[in-house]
Amino acid sequence: MVEDTGETVRAGAYKPVNAPEIIQVNEDAAGLPVVVKNKRRQRVGYIDDCWRIDDEWWRTEPVSRLYYAVRLASGQKLVIYKDLVTGGWYRQSY
Amino acid sequence: MKILCLLLPHFLLKCEALRRPDITDRPVIITRTSGSQKLVLDFSPELGGLQPDIPLQQALSRHGHAELLSEDMPYYRSVFSGLLDALESISPLVEGTELGCVYIGVDGLQLIYPDDKRLIDAVFRTVPDVFAPQAGIAGNKFLAYLTARRCPPGGRQVLTGDIAAFLRDLPCDMLPVSMKSREKLRLFGLRTLGQLAALPSGPLLSQFGPEGKRIHDLARGYDDTPIYPRMMEKAIEESTLLASVTVSLEALVVSWEKLLGGVFTRINQAGLGIRSMNVWTRTWNAEQWERTIKFKEPAMDVRSVINRIKRVLEEYPQPGPVEQLGLVISRLGFPGGRQNSLFREVRSQDHLMEDIRQLELRLGNPQVYRVKEVEPWSRIPERRYVLAPTSR
Repeated sequence: MVEDTGETVRAGAYKPVNAPEIIQVNEDAAGLPVVVKNKRRQRVGYIDDCWRIDDEWWRTEPVSRLYYAVRLASGQKLVIYKDLVTGGWYRQSY
Repeated sequence: MKILCLLLPHFLLKCEALRRPDITDRPVIITRTSGSQKLVLDFSPELGGLQPDIPLQQALSRHGHAELLSEDMPYYRSVFSGLLDALESISPLVEGTELGCVYIGVDGLQLIYPDDKRLIDAVFRTVPDVFAPQAGIAGNKFLAYLTARRCPPGGRQVLTGDIAAFLRDLPCDMLPVSMKSREKLRLFGLRTLGQLAALPSGPLLSQFGPEGKRIHDLARGYDDTPIYPRMMEKAIEESTLLASVTVSLEALVVSWEKLLGGVFTRINQAGLGIRSMNVWTRTWNAEQWERTIKFKEPAMDVRSVINRIKRVLEEYPQPGPVEQLGLVISRLGFPGGRQNSLFREVRSQDHLMEDIRQLELRLGNPQVYRVKEVEPWSRIPERRYVLAPTSR
């Protein structure tokens, strides 16, 4: 039997999977991503797809995101989104 | 025996007024859902012709302008429980029979409160003014209740003098007996307690059985029902506001699992399990859903409780998309005995879980997680799965 360390085991220890990560993105005049800093700065080769989700608009913190599936100059695929409420950019698998 | 009865008329409505003072001067109806039907639970006193439990359509046909509120039982109970806590500072014998009706045993309090006026003053000081309490003091519960009922809002009365004269003209509907017996009394043409008291007990016993004796005793002002003080077991209450409104049973189950994880962390160290609990949800449009779950043997881990919750959820569907949920552990208990499984796989699973538990106890935090589906169809990716501690 292990002795009790006296530390409280946290009850709210549930963690979301695939939480968005903050990422630095340079936009062009139209608001499209042109440069992404993902470990190193890379140009966006082209945008594969773009979609928008709006949800929970009745709550105090609504969800409004514009997702882009981009292919970087190195050929790497990446899904990023712009939070239309805060204006921040995030990386997230979709 | 000397008993004080404290009545808080329209208690549910007053609770709502406590958190929303703006409704004080407006006509309001509090509703509850029974199956597919909406019923009246409480209403503003100025709305005439209403009774608890009549269909809402019937109420609206009379008072279409009334504002509708959905019941919030957990809130009403917590307010009532707070009142009982405060009243227990006056006397240890406090019984809350139903929301808005309290009996207090006041024998032997003369040294603290030399007369009834000071006693009732002390009781009234513990109750917020918004409840407009009515207090009656008499020699037993029934007489104390009747005395309180006859007071105006904020009024008080001590029953002295001729009890038979006090009871004579009161209607039989005030008897705390079954609806069936009340209806039967009406059919017999017995309208007042005076008429009942004048009858010999034999015919009442032959017509009403054991309840006939109680009816006869009550009509003559005898009531030997003791006060049942609250059980001193401390209830554990946990609730959470969901990250998003959901209809997914899995998402609800995961949230309850999280709350139960917290509960078991607290009670398992004392070797206790759950004997009885209430689970509740509140929908985005403030509708309430609540069920009681009792365990024959104390539930010692989250999994056994969750299995029961799942069954209840499947049997009693939610009234709408859920925004908040919670649980109240009302009884705890020690396990009678525990037998290990005969099957090797189950035993090795138990050993693994025990090892993980020990590891977490040593390191202080959950160390091993498993991926659980919450809302796999959600358009918001981080809502689809969570990492749940394996030991919970």
